Amino acid sequence: MMKRAIAFLACFPLFATGPLIPVDEAGFQKLVASHKGKVVVYDFWATWCAPCRVELPLLVKLEAKLRSQGVEVITISADEPEQKAAAEKFIQKFGVQGPAYLRQAASDDHFINAIDPKWSGALPALFLYDKSGHKARSFIGETDMAALEAAIHKLL
Amino acid sequence: MTKALSIFLALSAGLLCAQEYKVGAQVTDFQVRDLDGKTVSLSSLKGPVTVVTFIATQCPVSNSYNQRMIDLYKDYTSKNVKFVFVNANRSEAAGEVREHAKRVGFTFPVYKDPDNVVADRFDAQVTPESYVIDGAGILRYHGSIDDDMNAARVHTQRLRVALDAVLAGKPVPAVETKAFGCTIKRVHKAS
Repeated sequence: MMKRAIAFLACFPLFATGPLIPVDEAGFQKLVASHKGKVVVYDFWATWCAPCRVELPLLVKLEAKLRSQGVEVITISADEPEQKAAAEKFIQKFGVQGPAYLRQAASDDHFINAIDPKWSGALPALFLYDKSGHKARSFIGETDMAALEAAIHKLL
Repeated sequence: MTKALSIFLALSAGLLCAQEYKVGAQVTDFQVRDLDGKTVSLSSLKGPVTVVTFIATQCPVSNSYNQRMIDLYKDYTSKNVKFVFVNANRSEAAGEVREHAKRVGFTFPVYKDPDNVVADRFDAQVTPESYVIDGAGILRYHGSIDDDMNAARVHTQRLRVALDAVLAGKPVPAVETKAFGCTIKRVHKAS
């Protein structure tokens, strides 16, 4: 059922964001594989993370600016299940496009290591993937959008 | 834009190069400041086993651990473990740290790490993030206090497991663990 839902949403990436889709480390790898051909920024954020809340609308703006060039921003909330509704409200408020995701991993350690072994788990964290589905850059902590945009342009 | 980019690169370089204390290696003496600004050395704070934990006043993850830290302090001080709670955030001044400690009922002192020098040596990235140092000054554990921000869902008391192992003279089962948390708000350094 969940796979069908993900497949459906993946086919219509510009649909307004609905409920957050749970994703574990295997799901993240599938997500990366399904986005080959695009430059993708994976944004790990949480409602309790103040710099993440500042960054999210900036990322939405950046995606709107670069979408026609094949750039996509995919958000993955690190919120706990009880904050899911708050996270959904937040992404709707800022007009996050396409499906958005919620970390649902059996082990935070395994999940974080699967995303990037060098990542401590600190938020916000942005991972920039090139068109071949390889991780090109990571941005941990508050990120300067101009620096991110410059890194994206190098991959286009 | 160039200036912003160069600051970012310098900060990144600092984060990558600064780590000095690694699990299995010696933790040399370092200095923090008490909330009156007086310099205090690890050598005067340490015990047979010492826990260094980076915390914050404004981070919800760190704050979700306040009671757990109070309990840890109570449970392990009686076992002769010493605790050094450190606030390395540039954005949280000593006065705010003092007010926060009073408000949340901390029973232990909190120290400031100006310019995040100590956080850099440990390569601490989030709050809360803990380190266990044994009597020989060797770093024996680095990671989270436990495995869930929500106390009701905790499965593994990671820091307690590490402390119990070190106190018993046994190997720590998991010497490095990770957890989600708020980034430590560092000062921008030239290199």
